[in-house]
Amino acid sequence: MRAETLKGHLDGMLLASLEPGPRHGYAIMEALRAGSGGQLDLPTGTVYPALHRLERAGLVAAAWSQATGRRRRVYQLTPAGRRALAAERGTWREFSAAVTRLLEPAPRPAPS
Amino acid sequence: MTSPASAQLIESYLSQVAAALPGPARTRADIVAELRSGLLDAADAHRRAGLAPPAAAQAAVAEFGHPAQIATAFRPGIAAGQARHAAVTLLVTGPLIGLLWAAAARASHVGVRAAPPWQWAGAPPAAPIALPLIAAVLLITVWTALITLAATGRLTRWLPHRPRLAPTTAAIAGFGAATVDVILLATVASQLATAPATLAAAPMALAAAASTTRLILARRAGRRCLASRASLS
Repeated sequence: MRAETLKGHLDGMLLASLEPGPRHGYAIMEALRAGSGGQLDLPTGTVYPALHRLERAGLVAAAWSQATGRRRRVYQLTPAGRRALAAERGTWREFSAAVTRLLEPAPRPAPS
Repeated sequence: MTSPASAQLIESYLSQVAAALPGPARTRADIVAELRSGLLDAADAHRRAGLAPPAAAQAAVAEFGHPAQIATAFRPGIAAGQARHAAVTLLVTGPLIGLLWAAAARASHVGVRAAPPWQWAGAPPAAPIALPLIAAVLLITVWTALITLAATGRLTRWLPHRPRLAPTTAAIAGFGAATVDVILLATVASQLATAPATLAAAPMALAAAASTTRLILARRAGRRCLASRASLS
């Protein structure tokens, strides 16, 4: 898969990675990498500006935390972020279902 | 934990990012602190995967991408933050400065309190031109400041991604506020030259000092927003 295709959905994937619970930047990156089976080879540093953009839009909330030793900025979904994720997911399902119908070969009728 | 050599590698990378970041020192420090914790996490992960500390730090730095690339990615956000800060400050201080001028005008001998300002007897001769001009510029200033707030806040969820909009409108608002101050000060100066006795010294001096301060700061904010706008291209 082309990395560019995946990057177009970065916002949705970032929101999805926070759905199980709050995470700091590097944990989000690890979740994306694991979830994409290594297909998403984005420079880790660029995840942070993307998270800040989602924060300005009110889709995630961030706070500094020292809970696990190192001082980290921890992100979590806001209610608006959850709604945005649900909307993104719905759009994606419709889109992918349509593309699948169009690209997959139709089952051939058995010759009689 | 990380060895001194690894720490040095990460710190030198961070100083390269910091050098390429625009904006207020506080914003840059926060970004660098967040990137530092991320790099240390990344180095830890590479060490768990079996790399020696210096190699792990090297891998972490490589994984994060080129310092210039990261700084560029942060620029629209920093510009938006600056623009928003300028707009909020203008919208909060604007009414206060307006009140100071209103109080100064009332305290001065400019006539009937019930009448609108332009009908005040003894008002500056420039007032019939200055007041509508101020109203017009004020309208533009307030609107551009409000657009800046919309373009940098929650509404960005639904708006198309236009990183240059907020720095532009914030710069217009800053220069607009500065223009209002110039007109106000010029009007008072003309009155001072023609009929100084009509002016109440203390309230006028207070309003003029507030406007002069705002003039300097608003102009500076406008220039900063223009500079950050230019860095986005």
